[in-house]
Parts: sequence; structure tokens; C-alpha cells
Amino acid sequence: MQNAKDSFYMALRTRLVAINPERTMLLRGAVRPGILVEEAEAPMSQPPSDVFVLRWLGLGIDTDISTSMAAEQCEIVYQTCGSQSFGGLDRGRALSEMDEELTAMIEPYWTPKLNYAATPPGTMLTKVFWEEPSFAPIQIQRDRLLRTASVIVYSYQEQGE
Amino acid sequence: MTDTAARNPTGSARMMADALLRSMTGTTALLRVTGANTDTNMLELGLAATPFADVVVSPVVMRKLRPSWQEGGESKWELIVSATSVEQQVNALSLATAQSLFAMTLSVTVAEQDYLIESIASNEAFGQIYVYRLLLREARQQSV
Repeated sequence: MQNAKDSFYMALRTRLVAINPERTMLLRGAVRPGILVEEAEAPMSQPPSDVFVLRWLGLGIDTDISTSMAAEQCEIVYQTCGSQSFGGLDRGRALSEMDEELTAMIEPYWTPKLNYAATPPGTMLTKVFWEEPSFAPIQIQRDRLLRTASVIVYSYQEQGE
Repeated sequence: MTDTAARNPTGSARMMADALLRSMTGTTALLRVTGANTDTNMLELGLAATPFADVVVSPVVMRKLRPSWQEGGESKWELIVSATSVEQQVNALSLATAQSLFAMTLSVTVAEQDYLIESIASNEAFGQIYVYRLLLREARQQSV
């Protein structure tokens, strides 16, 4: 299951770099694409703005088929306060831009499954695939607009996983 | 009689803050900051152990805040840090601002207890920051 989670994140990260190379963040002293896995970073009191945060929640396993299949719920949280040059008045536009980027990042709804624990990452036999995202209504917290999108990510459990 | 000493008059608040922190059993805090690592893929997935460095700031004073915190029941503390010490470390690490230093900080250790930073504030006089106030939450025990 971890390989599916890693592959999903790396796919989105690679696609984000292609869609909007300007969306970067400074985290742990390094400039990185503006997407992160919450559970792989230091605990933060408030998720960073203008960044996609992947949060893994639910898990279901179907063992009634020849190869067991795992379904994991990934919540993608993103928020913005707009830009300084507009005094935050462009926060609606900034959130719409992130909505569009996420919609573009999610397609196509599959990626090869790789084992990133190996160096170089090893390609596995099956693919990771997922459903269309379901977008929750915008949450307004004073000057901050926050949206959560939920995606169910499926993967077959291979031998050795 | 006139004070003709060639020192920056706006630095008096800093000197007084440092003296007060020292006199109030001022202790030492370690900021655990992340080091440079080129293998970003492994790092971003939580696969590679991040190299850490401990940055010493002193004098600091801890004070416990009122127990209004509910989530998980961890205590909250305020760490008052000398701005002089922070500035020295910012210069030593060739960083632009103190905010950059705090942004790199994963945890703060005082008397062998780890804390996580919740928020950062500062006090200033004559346009110069004399103390930083870090709102801290006790970190939970991590597996060895």
C-alpha cells in the first residue's frame, strides 16, 4: 500500500511541475514543487498556503478477488490568502487556479506503481489508479479560502508488499 | 553629564532584554534544524532520514501558559528567546531572516524535552526586535 501512496504522490508532483512550475515552496531549507505529503513532514499547526497537502485517511481492502486490492482515501487540502500585490483580493481567483491545477494533475487517472524504497525506484507489475476527485465546498476562515478534494486510490497488492 | 559612548542607542532594549533573560534563570534552547540533502524524492516520501543540526540559542526563558489547550491534552509553553542570540545564528547560517531560521526548525529542545512550534511572535522597540516569543506545544515521544 505504501508503494501506491508513494507512486500517487510522485505522479502528482511530476505533473504539477509540468502544469505550473511556478508553484514552489521553501520547506526544510529546500525549494520544492508546491505539493507535500502531510505524514512525511514535520507536524505543522497550520497547513501552508498555496500548496497542495496530501493527507491519507481511509483504507479498505477487498480480498474476495484473486489478488487483494487496496482502496485508500486521499484528501488533498489546499488554501490561499491571495497575493500581497492584490491585498488578498484575488484569493478567489487564486483558489480557482488551484482547482484547475488539481483537476489537470489528477488526469490521467492512473500511474505505474513504483517501489521508491529501492534505488533507483523499481517498476512493479501493476498500476495505481484512482477515481475522479470530489471537491468539497470552500471553507472560509476570515482571509483564507480552503478547499478539500477527496480521491480514492486503488492498487493491487503484489507479492512482497 | 552626557553619555558619549559610541554604541547604538536603539540597542538598549536588546541589552536590557538579554540582561533580564539571564537574570531570570536564563537557560539554553536547541533548535533542531534540517540540513541540506540532495535526494529530495526519498526525503519527500519520508524514506530517507533527514540530517539534523542543533542550533543553540541562549538566553531563553520558558513559561507555562494557562491550561486552556484541549486537543490531545499537551501543555503549551511560551519560550522567550533573546533576539541577539537569534541574530547571531541567522548570520552564522547565512540566512536572510529569523523567520527563515524558525521555518527550518522542526522542534525545540529545552532541558531534554522536545517541543513543537505553534506560532512565532516578536517584541520590538525603536524598530528593533529585542525578543522572540515562540508558542510551543510538548512533542510526543517518537519511536527509537
